[in-house]
Amino acid sequence: MRFGMLDRITELVPGERITAERKLTGREDYLADHFPLFPVMPGVLMLEAMYQAAAWLVRVGDDFEHSIVRLKEARNVKYSDFVDPGHVLIVKAEIKKRDGLLTSLEARGFVHGASAVSCRLVLETVQMDQLAPDRTMLEPWARKQMRDKFLALSTEVLSRMPVSV
Amino acid sequence: MPTKADVFEKVKTALIDALGVDDDQVTPEATMVGDLGAESIDFLDIVFRLEKAFGIEIPRSELFPDDVLTNSAYVAEGKVTPQGVEELKRRMPFADLTKFEQNPVVQDFGNLLTVNDLCRYIESKVGVS
Amino acid sequence: MRWMWIDRFLEFQSGRRAVARKNISLVEEQMDEYSPAYPYMPASLIIEGIAQTAGLLVGERSGFKDRVILAKVAKAALHRLAKPGDTLIYTAEVADIKRDGAFCNCTSHIDGELQAEVELVFAMLDDRFPDPIFDPADFLSMVRIFGLYDVGVDANGQPLQVPPHLLAAEQARP
Repeated sequence: MRFGMLDRITELVPGERITAERKLTGREDYLADHFPLFPVMPGVLMLEAMYQAAAWLVRVGDDFEHSIVRLKEARNVKYSDFVDPGHVLIVKAEIKKRDGLLTSLEARGFVHGASAVSCRLVLETVQMDQLAPDRTMLEPWARKQMRDKFLALSTEVLSRMPVSV
Repeated sequence: MPTKADVFEKVKTALIDALGVDDDQVTPEATMVGDLGAESIDFLDIVFRLEKAFGIEIPRSELFPDDVLTNSAYVAEGKVTPQGVEELKRRMPFADLTKFEQNPVVQDFGNLLTVNDLCRYIESKVGVS
Repeated sequence: MRWMWIDRFLEFQSGRRAVARKNISLVEEQMDEYSPAYPYMPASLIIEGIAQTAGLLVGERSGFKDRVILAKVAKAALHRLAKPGDTLIYTAEVADIKRDGAFCNCTSHIDGELQAEVELVFAMLDDRFPDPIFDPADFLSMVRIFGLYDVGVDANGQPLQVPPHLLAAEQARP
């Protein structure tokens, strides 16, 4: 996944919270434009990292039944620090409320132990037969791809967890 | 002219929208930074919303007297001098600085601003009935 | 991956409002495997396109002397997914610009229908960060490519002029 914003998941409590991390290597293409004389991780990619961690948490919770868990709403996404090349962004997301297909979470990103970004997110689990009925036959294949991606991200967490995915 | 209650309601709405806090968290005594979790960028957001809600202009230095807090004439060893505290009182008549005065550490200044201080500031700009 | 999340400005009224177009294509890097059964444009990149539209609108007010960065996404509501083949129309309106920041109300539309609503807070980088973030000549090339000066008008409806300091940098290019 070219737009995968996470390197690995380091903590996962199903139904509760997740911790993941991303290192900004400095070799990312987009740094040449953001910004040419001041390369830093774009704020929206810090948001994307928090969203992706939250989405994995939601998918584990429904056993990967739906391949799409989209970002429906983000609120109070505030940036207090930059992520410089060579530094690691640690993201944490915690479920606050579940309401049918909607999951509300609080998420934060840390660099060197200090908060760099925080936000509230609402994720929506999408039912393919509602979104695009003629793609429903692709869901089993898509499910497997998402499961495989998750497994690749979570090797160290799964070795500690009794839960089977 | 609005009443004090009107001002409080509008200030509360602005804080709920900008900070994502719950209605019951916004009490008059709540500190913006400590209790409501306001960070420096939130103040920009809060100021925009208050200006819009009340039709006023809020020059940054009226709420955040950075020029006093970074002035070597008013600050010594990380604390505001008595002259500095007098200057702050003069500049911010709406704020209750008694607590700050007891231990005027520069770093703590921002943390002491309460919802009530903000309401009184607004009242001083719009007038209340 | 270039970090350009709008394709072109359709409208640019200095200090007030800007409209930009973003075409979504299956061949873009972020589409690859992101959502296998139903590729869609990540919300974060829609927010970025909107932030670029609004940020350039805010920055132009100071002739691009202020270094404008995204400080807070107050709210982003995504009403539905945007997919390859869709054209997103981003509209940014300045609610307020001050010395140290700006607030913009923005939307995204597909085929005339509201797709997203986004409120953004920008901050101007202060003296704690003394260096420029863009090379002025390269920055001017970028905004020219976006068509900012093709459609840009000032408060009187007159064609927007390129700020002298950017023109000078462009002309000084070897």
